[in-house]
Amino acid sequence: MSVVMSKTKTASFGFQDVPAHEKASRVRGVFDAVASRYDLMNDLMSAGMHRAWKDAVAARLNPRPGERILDLAGGTGDLARRFKTLADAARTRSGGPPSEIIVVDINAEMIAAGRERGLDGLGWAVGDAEALPFPDNSADGYVISYGIRNVTDIPKALGEAYRVLKPGGRFYCLEFSKPTTGALEAFYDAWSFKAIPPIGKAVTGDAQPYQYLVESIRRFPDQESFAAMIREAGFRRVDYTNFSGGITALHGGWKV
Amino acid sequence: MTETPKTAAMEGREIDPRLLEILVCPVSRTPLTYDRSRGELVSKAAGLAYPIRDGVPIMLAGEAREISDA
Repeated sequence: MSVVMSKTKTASFGFQDVPAHEKASRVRGVFDAVASRYDLMNDLMSAGMHRAWKDAVAARLNPRPGERILDLAGGTGDLARRFKTLADAARTRSGGPPSEIIVVDINAEMIAAGRERGLDGLGWAVGDAEALPFPDNSADGYVISYGIRNVTDIPKALGEAYRVLKPGGRFYCLEFSKPTTGALEAFYDAWSFKAIPPIGKAVTGDAQPYQYLVESIRRFPDQESFAAMIREAGFRRVDYTNFSGGITALHGGWKV
Repeated sequence: MTETPKTAAMEGREIDPRLLEILVCPVSRTPLTYDRSRGELVSKAAGLAYPIRDGVPIMLAGEAREISDA
């Protein structure tokens, strides 16, 4: 199917370059391996901070009653549950139709792990950020959290985000990024490369998935470069906020 | 809201009807028809049937069953 195979380019898989069409299945393998321990993984990678960062994303998105929000790479539904709580609270205060929060993840294991914790009135679907199963101009918000780094063709995924958002719709991307000071970067590098794979191995029996995760974080474009890619996809008023000195960044943009 | 009797969709055995309304074929971006007996979402335009597993639609072309054009 020519749609997915973009001219036999290579894609980054951690520090390796693999044929572009292999990346998706390799990434899927990583997440199959860690699905049931996903929160632990995030805790390791963020020193426990990812919860606070996710709260910040939900506050920024500020989901309103009646809105349709897509939570991409939403796996366990961590973020989607926050959106639902906020949207429901707003609805209690001011009325309006229920919101519709849809968790989309390419990995069925992640979705299963999320549903295991409770369906919680969320929509759940397995789907690919590069070929979304939604119509044009159909969503009020699109959030991808710790997912864009794993996408084979990032510009294509950003284009899809733009396509499915309504005019006035907002885009947010939470992703590990580049620490803003050399000292922090050195510390974070040491933590990432020396500590995380062995800890991952101790906990799950396999260091390889964690090795991939730290390498992929290192290779991901820095804040400014990624902001430029978002603008390139058509978004306006693109900005970003660094969390914890740039260990993670939240990028945002609007479809106008 | 908690008093409403639980439907199959709410318990996760069947696909959420709200999802059925919004999902389109990721290949052709055209509407899908729900084949309840087979548990599939059918895209006539793309000639693909997307499986629903444990109430979750698998909207990946690579996982879909190819169907011959009617």
